[in-house]
Amino acid sequence: MLKKINLNSLIPLAQRTCFRNYSQEPAAVETVHDDDFRVLNLRKTKGTQQQLSRRPKPPDVPPPRYKQMAVDQDWGAVWPGPKTFHPASVPLPVRQGWVPLNKTVPGKFANAELMKIPNFLHLTPPVIAKQCEALKQFCTPFPKGLETEEQQEKHFPVQFISSDYVHGLPTIRNPLSRIVTIKLKLSQLKLDEHARDKFLRLIGERYNEETDEITIVTDRCPLKQQNFDYAMYLLTALYHESRTVEEWESSKQEGDMEYYNWHNNQSKVTSTEVLNWGLPGDSKVEPPQEYISCVENLMNEGENEYNINKYKESVVKMLGLA
Amino acid sequence: MQHLRRSVSSISYLNRSSLSRCTRFFATSTELEEKVEIPNYIQRSPTTILRALSQTVGFDPTAAHYKYHDDPYLIPLSNVGKRSFALAMESGRKSAKFIRQQHSNLFQHREADPPIEAFLPTKMYTIDSQVEISDLTTSIEHSHVSDAILVYALLKKNNVELTNDVKQSLLELLCFYNCEEPLEEDMIEERWFRQNQRLKERNRKTWKDNDTAEQLYYEIEPKTPQTYACIIRGMCKYYQVEKAYAIFQDCLANNIKLDVDCFNSILNVVRFIKESADLRWSVMLDLLKTMKEKGVSPNLGTLNACLNSISEMGSKNAKDYAIQIMTEFKNIGIEPSLASYYHILHTFCKDRGPVSHVLVDILNEIEGKEFEMRDIKDTMFFVTAMDVCRNHLYDLNLAKRVDAFLHFGENYNLIGDSYKESIYYRNYFTLLVQAEPFDKFMADYYHILVPHVYIPEPSVMEEILKAVEVTGAIDNIPLLWSHMICFEQISRDNLLALIVRIMLQNKPDLTIKTQENLKETFSHIAWDIWSKIEEKNELRSKPVVWTGKLLGDILRIICTSEDIDRASVIMEKLLNDQQKILGESDYIAMEDYVQLCITKKQPSKAIQCLQYCTEIGFNESKNLAKTICKGFTLDENHTRRVVRYAGESVIQEIEKEMQEESAAKNVTQ
Repeated sequence: MLKKINLNSLIPLAQRTCFRNYSQEPAAVETVHDDDFRVLNLRKTKGTQQQLSRRPKPPDVPPPRYKQMAVDQDWGAVWPGPKTFHPASVPLPVRQGWVPLNKTVPGKFANAELMKIPNFLHLTPPVIAKQCEALKQFCTPFPKGLETEEQQEKHFPVQFISSDYVHGLPTIRNPLSRIVTIKLKLSQLKLDEHARDKFLRLIGERYNEETDEITIVTDRCPLKQQNFDYAMYLLTALYHESRTVEEWESSKQEGDMEYYNWHNNQSKVTSTEVLNWGLPGDSKVEPPQEYISCVENLMNEGENEYNINKYKESVVKMLGLA
Repeated sequence: MQHLRRSVSSISYLNRSSLSRCTRFFATSTELEEKVEIPNYIQRSPTTILRALSQTVGFDPTAAHYKYHDDPYLIPLSNVGKRSFALAMESGRKSAKFIRQQHSNLFQHREADPPIEAFLPTKMYTIDSQVEISDLTTSIEHSHVSDAILVYALLKKNNVELTNDVKQSLLELLCFYNCEEPLEEDMIEERWFRQNQRLKERNRKTWKDNDTAEQLYYEIEPKTPQTYACIIRGMCKYYQVEKAYAIFQDCLANNIKLDVDCFNSILNVVRFIKESADLRWSVMLDLLKTMKEKGVSPNLGTLNACLNSISEMGSKNAKDYAIQIMTEFKNIGIEPSLASYYHILHTFCKDRGPVSHVLVDILNEIEGKEFEMRDIKDTMFFVTAMDVCRNHLYDLNLAKRVDAFLHFGENYNLIGDSYKESIYYRNYFTLLVQAEPFDKFMADYYHILVPHVYIPEPSVMEEILKAVEVTGAIDNIPLLWSHMICFEQISRDNLLALIVRIMLQNKPDLTIKTQENLKETFSHIAWDIWSKIEEKNELRSKPVVWTGKLLGDILRIICTSEDIDRASVIMEKLLNDQQKILGESDYIAMEDYVQLCITKKQPSKAIQCLQYCTEIGFNESKNLAKTICKGFTLDENHTRRVVRYAGESVIQEIEKEMQEESAAKNVTQ
């Protein structure tokens, strides 16, 4: 049904266009005749026809230039920079492309596969050696006294990381280049226990416990330098802030502690009492350090077989039950 | 987008002054302070590394200049091709600029950051546009001379008051360019290939009298010394010498302090001020003395101007003057540039003068030095030096020294333009081919420089072919012929005659390995000559005129390879187009052809040849007829034709001879 309808609707259209063409044609021809200046052709030259018969000659193309290349030529001069593969300039019988089994792989001429892949023909080992030699004049010797990593860490504790970008666009800017990261080891900072605790609380997740590293990433300013300054400002502010002791910090209760401290807990009272029970005089016996650390480990790390066994050993030892 | 660099740097609290207060942050072991020695950064500009890397790239004789595409279809192989390929590329750049300017409203998007001024359309000014002083200053800054003139006129119409500084800078622009729009700076190829109009216009007044520059000069009040200097220098540059000298004299009379460049430009045009050599020399001396009185210290420009004037003075004492000037300037510590040496060469090595070896002394002085462009005529040195080597001294070793000096360091930048370069190499090649052993010339120079650095002109090619003829190094002929096709020299009669003569006179020696296939190749070349010229004659309005001699020679070469089809095509041409062919072929070619017909058993073709010979009127055509009759067993038809062309007597003579022969045989039996 559909087909039929379509055909029917097309036919009148086609007829109409034919008719229009036909009716206009004679008029167009007439106008051309009126406009044309009639030429008196004395020598009977067939101007237009002669020009048409002149077929453009195909140009003489020289053979590909790899045929002229000497065997011992300087390849770096032939292919000095990165560019798309060209079969006429590369004197290698390279082949590339997928073919069914038992068919020959296409050669290098008119082979788009070879042009697609990036080539490193401009970076052959002799060329790299030559370029390195040329760049040596701009290199300075490695700084003395910074040979080992420990020395480097000691003298340059802060790492500064940023990125530069190059792209084929009219603009040379890339917003990502503003991001600045600074890294340093926490142990490099002079912090007492309180300050360290406070520093860690302030810095939050930016501290990596495994490597003891602090990472500060700044990207809120538009420029790299500004972000760098801001990062250094943050580091300074954090350092000084963690060293100040506020008044309200003394009112910290046991419930506020983030870890178990034996000295603030009932265990200290009880164990001291147990040890001093029935002893005369003021001199008190303190529980041994081994016991203290065992209790703290048990409470901070949780109960496991190792910690419980250690705890048991230390209690038995302390009470002299063995 | 490509990640260029991820820089990780560590900040030392010891070295970074801005962080010195951080010292107390860090836990340091104070007991043993190790000293860290960080070497200083080696200063470099943004392009230093690129330059250093580009130094590692050598010369590749198989490659075209890097401005062309590295593709067999797009590498130009003739001088015309080089020129048109490079200019076509630049023409595209020009038309893009034109479109951008024509539809500037469509090119207002500013994607680039920072914006690139050169890629944006410039402001267009018409008679009705509203202009400000800033428009004038930017036009002057960008050297848009016609824009500057228009804007200046508009400002004047609107009665805008201009400061003298702006007027002065406009005057400087107009004087420098003579109120003409200069060729844009980035049109490198056009500048390289442009026929140097300057040379043609040398010694001719091109200054535009009473144009904007002069009007402006009269308008500026009060005039500063710079104003005078500017107009004098402009007029001298474009050889309006009379006016310039008048203003100059006024300035001297009114005690206005002129700068050294102003004196230089007057010194440069001394030859227009006075007529005879002695008067010119005295004017020069006066000028130099005035400079001394006024306390103006001379510079390189003074030296070059003096030497230029001396070289064109036409005095017998010119050489002495030049030496005087050179020593004088050497004493005050002015290092001459290449232009100074060019003027010296020009003075000493005249065409009709005695031979002078001043070039040797110059080379001893400057060899191993790197030169920069310091004078506009610095580019004339190399071409003149090579010209002296070839035409004046005829000294190959000296030419090689000049060439080595040209390739030393960055000196090649001073070769000038394509025209000078080709003249330089034309002289060098001619000298080499004449004085160097031919094999060495081909291996060390021809194969390396041709065609990508230099394409021999027809005259040089003729010299090379002559050298081939003398040395008999015919294995080079195929290469030279293919180069002649590439360089579009096949319509040169003298070259064609020469190459055909060489092929005829030097029979390939089959015992030499390189010449084994040469017989076939020569025949191909001969056929190639024929077909290329025929092809050209069909297309060109001005055809090459065949000479009978050339055609005969080609026929002979083809006959050696026993190719009867091709030979007969040429024979037909000889026979049918006798009116169009100049002169006649050698009879020996006809003999060769008939012999070929006999071996190939083609009697009708041999008779055609006989027809040609009788029509030309060779005396030997009877002998030819005899050869034909003996070579073939002719049928009746053929015999009738032979009789028609050679006459009845021939047949009778042959019969007689045959009878005599058989009689002789009988006698011997």
